[in-house]
Amino acid sequence: MNDPRLFVDEMLEGIVVAHPGQLISVAGDLRCIVRGGDKTAGKVGIATGGGSGHLPLFLGYIGKGMLDGCAVGGVFQSPSADQMLEVTRAIDSGAGVLYIYGNYGGDIMNFDMAAELADMEGIKVEQVVAGEDVASAPKGEEGKRRGVAGIFFVYKIAGALAGEGASLAAVKKVAEKVSAGVRTMGVALSPCIVPEVGRPSFQLGENEMEIGMGIHGEPGIHRGPLQTADEIVTQITGRLLEDLPFRKGDEVAILLNGLGATPKEELYILGRKLHRILKEKQITVFHTYVGEFATSMEMAGASISLLRLDDELRRLLAQPADTPFFTQFQL
Amino acid sequence: MQSLKTADIVTILRELKLSVENNQQLLGELDGVMGDGDLGLTMTRAFTAAAEEADRSEEPLPGKLLMRLGAVIAKAAPSTMGTLVATGFMRGGKALDTTSQLGPRELAVFFDAFVNGIMERGKSAPGNKTIIDTLYPAARALQTAAAAGETLDSAAGRAYVAARQGLEDSTQMKAQHGRAAYYQDASIGKQDGGATVGLLIVEGFYKVIVR
Repeated sequence: MNDPRLFVDEMLEGIVVAHPGQLISVAGDLRCIVRGGDKTAGKVGIATGGGSGHLPLFLGYIGKGMLDGCAVGGVFQSPSADQMLEVTRAIDSGAGVLYIYGNYGGDIMNFDMAAELADMEGIKVEQVVAGEDVASAPKGEEGKRRGVAGIFFVYKIAGALAGEGASLAAVKKVAEKVSAGVRTMGVALSPCIVPEVGRPSFQLGENEMEIGMGIHGEPGIHRGPLQTADEIVTQITGRLLEDLPFRKGDEVAILLNGLGATPKEELYILGRKLHRILKEKQITVFHTYVGEFATSMEMAGASISLLRLDDELRRLLAQPADTPFFTQFQL
Repeated sequence: MQSLKTADIVTILRELKLSVENNQQLLGELDGVMGDGDLGLTMTRAFTAAAEEADRSEEPLPGKLLMRLGAVIAKAAPSTMGTLVATGFMRGGKALDTTSQLGPRELAVFFDAFVNGIMERGKSAPGNKTIIDTLYPAARALQTAAAAGETLDSAAGRAYVAARQGLEDSTQMKAQHGRAAYYQDASIGKQDGGATVGLLIVEGFYKVIVR
């Protein structure tokens, strides 16, 4: 990097020039990014937002079949309500705007505020707050759970339905359904560094790992000696399956997510064991996504997300999408 | 003064701008003890923008003007405290609906919606050492005074006294929100920047009303 204070803005400048036509900044603010090209009249706009340091989250999923705009904050910081409002104005085509974002206090306060400001201008806004990290709050307190990689599924499916011209109420409903049917848990092997702070936000020993750590380094549920990939997957999958719960005969989509410094090879090793466990439990896998979807700067580690599918969700998940960080042909 | 009209709201905003400017250093210092020290700057930015907008605006209804000022503050001061104060003005203004003059009853409605909006947006309540701890007692005092049929001058005076007492009480509270919460016990005995902002807002209304 150059100057830590310019980390976010220089990153954004680079992203926008790398994807001309696909992404543009609005209101003279690099931190307000929307889809390039003309708006589709009558299409519900989908906006997200959140702190930087999680690429491809959040702006990376702006594009055909997914999101329309994103307000970008500093590293691990919420963007402002005003930036969210600018994005909202830019993407509203008259059919209203749905906010989809993770369950974090600063983001909630600012998105709530932006929704109220938009309402004063006559723009209809609905919100879905995603939170599926099983480690962040016990069952029964799902509303307190942090949003992590599973939000990818909410974007993908809500974006597909919005692309079909569905109403704001219908897009919100499907987003809530996805949000309710996805579960995630992760493991961290090394900490991450916020550029302006310049040192790790927590310490983790050379041969230690922490199950359930959040994507900003929030404490997890268990810290201990490094285990094998199979042991980690067995532990995490057990928690995920019993939480929803996923049952024999269910069909799922898998998201194997690297946190920033984990090679894809390792993710596939995790995926091998995961598939074995699911097969044994007689849970069918519709599709497996492997890669970096929600990272935490240079943190080493991974997360596993499972989404229970029904006919509607399967159909929408299978549809094509084309964004700077995620492209899919019809499945 | 018997009631506040739109022109008086403009005067109040000028008063608030001056008051925040005069207290900029104090707010910065209070915030610097437990926060990131930018409260004085943020509030100056917020009320400078709001006062300019009030001067410029041709909006005839006080409620509509106050809502508009909230939106202006949100843009000018995108920090937590800026967003909370902005919410207060928006909700307070909205609650006034098409009222053309604010007597004791309407002023009570305004401050009640103001502080409720902040409690909802900030997910907080009285007793946590925040801006709520000066605004909430002021709103209660206004309600009591309005119910007793007191004059606007008298009601505003009671609100101001209640807010001052609230600031004193809040100094002994333990911080639960924001960066200040990291200090917990160490926050006891320290004056809170947010609560101070709440007092300045009540004071601005009071000063113009009794002038």
